[in-house]
Formats: sequence, structure tokens, C-alpha cells
Amino acid sequence: MKTEELIDRLARDLAPVRPLPRPERRAAAWLVGAGLYVGLFVVLTRSGGGPTTDLEALLPQLAALVACVVAAGAAFASVVPGYSRAVLAWPLIAGVVWLGMLAIGATWSSGAIAAASRHEWACVLLIVVGAAPLLAALVAMLRRGAPFRPAVTAGLAALAVGALASAGACFWRPHADDAVTLVWHGGAIAIVMAVCLLGARWLLGPSRLSGTGREVR
Amino acid sequence: MTHSADDLGRLLQAAQRGDGAAYAELLAAVTPRIRRIVARRRGFAGVGETEDLVQEVLLSLHAVRATYDSSRPFVPWLLAIVRHRLADGARRYARTIRREIDIDEIDVTFLEAEANEPIGALGDADALRAAVEALPDGQRQAIELLKLKELSLKEAAEITGTSVGALKVATHRAMAALRQALAPKRG
Repeated sequence: MKTEELIDRLARDLAPVRPLPRPERRAAAWLVGAGLYVGLFVVLTRSGGGPTTDLEALLPQLAALVACVVAAGAAFASVVPGYSRAVLAWPLIAGVVWLGMLAIGATWSSGAIAAASRHEWACVLLIVVGAAPLLAALVAMLRRGAPFRPAVTAGLAALAVGALASAGACFWRPHADDAVTLVWHGGAIAIVMAVCLLGARWLLGPSRLSGTGREVR
Repeated sequence: MTHSADDLGRLLQAAQRGDGAAYAELLAAVTPRIRRIVARRRGFAGVGETEDLVQEVLLSLHAVRATYDSSRPFVPWLLAIVRHRLADGARRYARTIRREIDIDEIDVTFLEAEANEPIGALGDADALRAAVEALPDGQRQAIELLKLKELSLKEAAEITGTSVGALKVATHRAMAALRQALAPKRG
């Protein structure tokens, strides 16, 4: 087919589309929904006493929430062509800060290895299975954009979901030691990340971007 | 007509609302630019391959037109799509190359000994030319029109003003004469 014919056909069959809101607004919408989901879950099923007020214990959770916010923002920015790639660096920095805090806390804590060897399968289950609806909603929203680099977008989505779920799990069932959080939560997030990266092309379906698949409406 | 980046952004906004004429104008305006970029980045690609990539970019642009934000510049948005499609094209090319296996040309043989002669050994072109020139006018004209210019019998008959039957006879006789003239030289 000649290019001129293609242009005629595309223009002739043109359907109106609703422009996507800015990435920040879309990220905010997802964060509000995800925050409500996690918050309600924690409040309704919380175990292990009242909420901690220890700032030292809260800091890693705060860092996780910051990582979640910037990763979600970057994930939505990554599906808009022409968006600055610099936004992709922030989640990396936030993730390193968050994990660094946990690592430092784990190093300082007494009996870190013993604490880390405790089984925390409930947290793993919460992060991997409980966060699945959050991931599904995020992926559905990201698919409306242009995921030209599906692995990058999927990795950012996994970080956003994993960080939020990890913070939620810490409020849901407070851990006495950062080593537990680092090993078990870190392991669970690694599972989510691996699933997202391996299934990135399937999850985000970039084949439609070449015009061979579903059209963005 | 040349369009500024702002014009192109406005055309895409109109296209997002479903204005087909604005969309056609936009695509016609950006296609030469896309073609130039593709040709520059893929200098080794042929015309057909370049055009395929241009069309892929247009299809991608069409598929993601909802992601254009009118408050942001149009050109970086377009260039990002071109860049991604070119990267995809390069990856696809690399995959294709990896799957291909170079093989030597397979020799084809036929039962007839003459058919197995290499092209260079088919005969002396000068001797053939001389043999054709030595033919009577009618036969030479028949060979030139039917065998060299590859006209149809009807076309050749119109040019020479003879009948199709006469042309067939002249060609048959010319071929026999040429075969006889060249036979001793081929040994």
C-alpha cells in the first residue's frame, strides 16, 4: 500500500478520541484509589497492636510511600511519547533510599540474621496476592497510553505497587526489625518485579502501537 | 504549504475531536519530515524499507494520538514515536539477520548438455551480431522485433506491414540460419 493511500484510509476512518489527562493527574487518581484500598485493608484486618509512633520505625515506611508516588508518576510519564526521561531517574533514587534505610536499620539491629530467618509468609502473600488488584488497575490505566518501552513501564509499575504494599504490610503487621522487612518484603517485591518484567510485553501489549492491534480510544 | 509546530499541534487536537480533513493535512505535512529522518537514520535501507518504516510511524502515531497533550510541544512527541519505531525496526532487522543462514548458490543442472553451459560460454556476442547482420532484411527485422525487442507477433506485423504468418516463417528461417552460422564456432 502506498503511503498516500494509508493516510487517506486513516483519515477516512478516523474516530474521535479523548485526550489522556496529564501523567501527574492519572498517577494521582491511581494513588488515591490504591491508598484507599490498602488503608481500608489495614484498618479492617490489622493485627499486632496499635499503630507505631516511633519515628525511626516510620521513616522506612515513609520512604516506601515516596518511592511508590514517584514510581507511579514515572510509570504514567513513560507511556507518553516525548516526556522527559529524567523523571525515570527519581524512582531509582527513591528506591535506593528506601532499601538503603532498611539495610542500615537491619545492620544496626541486634540479631538481624535471626530476625530475618523468621518466617513472614503472611507479608509475602499480602504483597504478592493482595497487591494484584492494584497492579491490574495500574496496568489497565497504563495500557491506555503508549508503552513503547514495556519493560521500563512494567518495572516502574512493580516498584509502585510493591512499595505501597510493603508499607501497608508494615502497618498491617508491624515488624520489630528492619531485617525482616528487608528480606521478606524485599523478596516479595522481587517476585512482583520479576513477574512484571517477564510479562511486560503481554501485560502492556505494545504490538498495538504499530497499528496491528487494539486502538487507543 | 509549510506548517509550524503550533499548527501541527492544532491539527492533531482537531484530529482528536474526529476531524478527518485536519488529520489528513497533519499526516501529509509530517510524512516528508518522517521520511527524511528515517532515510537519514537508516541510510542503508532501500526505498521500500524506508517507506515501510514511515508507514509504521504513521500507524503508531494513529494508535497513540490520544496521548498527545495540547499543552506540550508537538515535535518532541512526534520525534519520540519516530525514535521508538526506528529502534523497533533495528531490533527486528537484527533478529532477521540472526535467523538467516548464508548458503552458496545451488547449481541447477539439466539433462541437455547445452543448458549446463555457463553464461560466459554461450557464444561469441560479436559472432552473433555479425550473423544477424548477414541475414536477409526480412529475417533480420523479424529477429530484431520478436527476439531482441520481444514484441508480440501482432505488434511486429503492424510495424513491418507483413502478415503474422509471414513473420513466423521469416523468424523460423532466421533461427535456422543463425544456428547454422554459429554451430561451427561453438564446436
